[in-house]
Amino acid sequence: MTNVEPDLATVPETVGAAGAPHQIHVELGDRGNHRVPAGEPDGVIELANLEVFYDKFLAVSGVDMLFGSKEITALIGPSGCGKSTVLRCLNRMNDLVPGAHVFGDVRFHGVDMYGPGVDVIEVRRRIGMVFQKPNPFPKSIYDNVAYGPRVTGMKTDNMDDVVEQALHGAALWDEVKDKLKQSAFGLSGGQQQRLCIARTIATSPEVILMDEPCSALDPIATAKIEDLMVDLAKTYTIIIVTHNMQQAARVSHRTAFFTAAADEHGQRTGRLVEFDNTGKIFGNPADQRTEAYITGRFG
Amino acid sequence: MTTSRSTAETAGGRSSGSGRPPAWRGSTIDLGQQHPRYGERVIKVILVGAAWLSVAVTIGIVVSLLAPTVTFFTHVGLGAFLFGTEWTGGFGNKFVWDDKSWGVLPLVVATAIVTVIALAVAVPLGLGAAIYLSEYASERVRKVLKPVLEVLAGIPTVVYGFLALTIFTPILANLVQFNTIHNMLSPGIVMGFMIVPTVASLGEDAMSAVPLALRQGSYALGANRMKTTLRVVFPAALSGIVAAIVLGISRAVGETMIVTIAAGSRAQLTFDPREGAQTMTGFIAQIASGDAPQGSPVYYSLFAVGALLFAVTLLINLASIRLVRKYRQVY
Amino acid sequence: MTTATLTRANPLTGGRRRDGIASAVFAGLLWLCLALICVFLFFMLAVIVQKGVARLDLNLITKQPSKIRPETAGVQSALLGTLWVGGITALIAMPLGIAAAVYLEEYANPAKWWNRAIELNIQNLAAVPAVIYGILTLGFIVRGPVSIGAVVMAGGVALALLILPVIIITTREALRSVPREIRDGSLALGATQWQTTWRQVLPAAVPGIATGSILAMSRAIGEAAPLILVGATTFVTFNPDGVLSKYTTLPVQIYNLVPQDRQAFRDLAYAAILLLIVVLLAMNAVAIWLRNRYQRRW
Repeated sequence: MTNVEPDLATVPETVGAAGAPHQIHVELGDRGNHRVPAGEPDGVIELANLEVFYDKFLAVSGVDMLFGSKEITALIGPSGCGKSTVLRCLNRMNDLVPGAHVFGDVRFHGVDMYGPGVDVIEVRRRIGMVFQKPNPFPKSIYDNVAYGPRVTGMKTDNMDDVVEQALHGAALWDEVKDKLKQSAFGLSGGQQQRLCIARTIATSPEVILMDEPCSALDPIATAKIEDLMVDLAKTYTIIIVTHNMQQAARVSHRTAFFTAAADEHGQRTGRLVEFDNTGKIFGNPADQRTEAYITGRFG
Repeated sequence: MTTSRSTAETAGGRSSGSGRPPAWRGSTIDLGQQHPRYGERVIKVILVGAAWLSVAVTIGIVVSLLAPTVTFFTHVGLGAFLFGTEWTGGFGNKFVWDDKSWGVLPLVVATAIVTVIALAVAVPLGLGAAIYLSEYASERVRKVLKPVLEVLAGIPTVVYGFLALTIFTPILANLVQFNTIHNMLSPGIVMGFMIVPTVASLGEDAMSAVPLALRQGSYALGANRMKTTLRVVFPAALSGIVAAIVLGISRAVGETMIVTIAAGSRAQLTFDPREGAQTMTGFIAQIASGDAPQGSPVYYSLFAVGALLFAVTLLINLASIRLVRKYRQVY
Repeated sequence: MTTATLTRANPLTGGRRRDGIASAVFAGLLWLCLALICVFLFFMLAVIVQKGVARLDLNLITKQPSKIRPETAGVQSALLGTLWVGGITALIAMPLGIAAAVYLEEYANPAKWWNRAIELNIQNLAAVPAVIYGILTLGFIVRGPVSIGAVVMAGGVALALLILPVIIITTREALRSVPREIRDGSLALGATQWQTTWRQVLPAAVPGIATGSILAMSRAIGEAAPLILVGATTFVTFNPDGVLSKYTTLPVQIYNLVPQDRQAFRDLAYAAILLLIVVLLAMNAVAIWLRNRYQRRW
């Protein structure tokens, strides 16, 4: 899915209409108003001069970005351009990598996320994450969803309701309502990924980060997740890293294009090239590198 | 800040940021800790304590050996201990230092001879098994052979010792002339079989770690399995194989029950494996199980021999650990 | 390289034949090694069964040791001593070993020199001769600061220290085999490090930890050397009734029977060996079964 046919990469609406294997893309195109954000993003998450080091290696440098609330922002770019690194800064999952250092500002609601007194647990409770490979816990479907509310000590009147709502929210309820006590490993890959999304929204986060959530899935499962993302964006702020440019074009409101440039020592450091409305990026990119990438001549 | 292994560094190594006012104009939030997590901290302290306990054990070993050993050396010269050829610690008046010889060489030589015999058995058999398991065996054969090695490793050493004395010594007596029932040959051979699983499993680990690509390269050049094993896999896994042997040496030097039971308790300097001779560990066990009043010279000598044993095995172990790390780094 | 394809198809050409013979000899030697190992093991087991089965009767486990009537004597005090000492060993070594492994695997930053030092120290401890742990316990627990004497507790401590590094190392391996994604998934939901460890990682690692712990316990139960130093060689004809009771264990009892070379004592010793081997092999079998049953669920 990573290779884009050049004629598809014009404006997103036509991508949906012309190149879509599924009906859903046309539908997405029909949601025109929803998909063209007005003005600047409101900056619910803000990156200013972000730099990330892994030990001595500068992985990402000089990223300035504003993310809009209740929008889908896609981060695209070739492998090794640092887009996943940037994503993992946004809920401090990079803390788990030994030797990772983050410099610059990462603000959430204007609050410095790496400032003193900030609790990473609180950050991750508010900013959830869905991973590349579906990673359900080796527990029942019910316990997977209930895990987040339980560990974060969320006050709930009835856990059954929380689980049901989260599964509804992830468009999974009808498929699993009769086997909630069964192991999550019995689900298909796409269902597992939606379970992971249900698990994330069960803790009522404000932001959901998705790290190539469909790269391990088949096209039908991918379509369902894309559909779901558009739905979720009514309630949540979504930031998605994807290798699949069509996907970015289909679902996102804004797109950021990253690329990696090698310095004189051959070390490749990721940089933000262009960040704009998705329609602009795919229709009329300002930077030549962006155009080269989306038309398939590079990367 | 208790949650991640690099949080402290991340926060510490961070610059002050851009200094630019935030773009966000909406509601603000509190990202601080919502409720204190004392339990987390207590648990971490417990876990750290458990890990440091292992260091305390090592310190405890050194202290428990050192104090009596120092007392021992106020009565016996270091040179007389290390290079003396006669050990008569168990003879004479129990509470007198001067009527005894404290030369540890007889014990050391006996330990070395038993170790060499054990290795002569364990190295070829263990490496043969390792090569077979890593390079030749099918999955089905492995499923049978691995448990065989595990059972061999699981038999208590006191059982090996008992069989060495009551079964293998009489069998060997048909081939070799023994002067007494105690000898070094029989416990040496039995100890060799005891060490086979150590050499085999570590050796197999080392050879399995050699990348498949190296083997395929060799096969592609027309080499058969033997040539590939001997000229490609074996040299590539050499440091791991040496580590396996070195660890086998450490086990042999430290093994107590087999030699205590089957090699006898006569401390004598002899290079004849048909003779019985007491090893370092054999001496420690004999004194501990019998007649050493606390504070007597022979009681202190137990710790001096123990300290020597610990020092020797420590050096051997560190060498083995180094070798293992070497091959782990390469692949 | 046309010969590459000829190697197998035409093994009769000159040099190839020598290669083939050498190869066959080499494979034969490897077989011989394995055959020798197997023959040795089965010979030993056969001898133990053949000599031990005669006295493997109820007296063995219902009667106490006797220096006068070996024909009807048993090893009950030693069997119960083994259970007591083994229980204390497990109670000390398993929580400490698992806790240390959790710290090293889930919490410790491997870049810090002190964590590397702990790791090196544990690797070394795993190869320290068993008899040294006896000296340590003798110096600190039996005499010295604690001075509780040659009792069950001292034996349990000695064996616990002996298998502690083994449990740490096998538990770490079990924890390492739990996929990174499980931890990430839990942490990303706002779970704390300990919640993640306790609710996700440890349950997933239980089969591996159990396998390693059972194997370590079987080593402890069969060990005699350190116990000789902490007073298990006393001739005990009563069952231990607490952690401060005098005691002996099966392996030590077998060691005590060595100097008694009357046939009746030898028969008793072999029966005790058979009993010990049966217990240990059963533990080994459970461990191997656990490992095969739960290997790699992901």
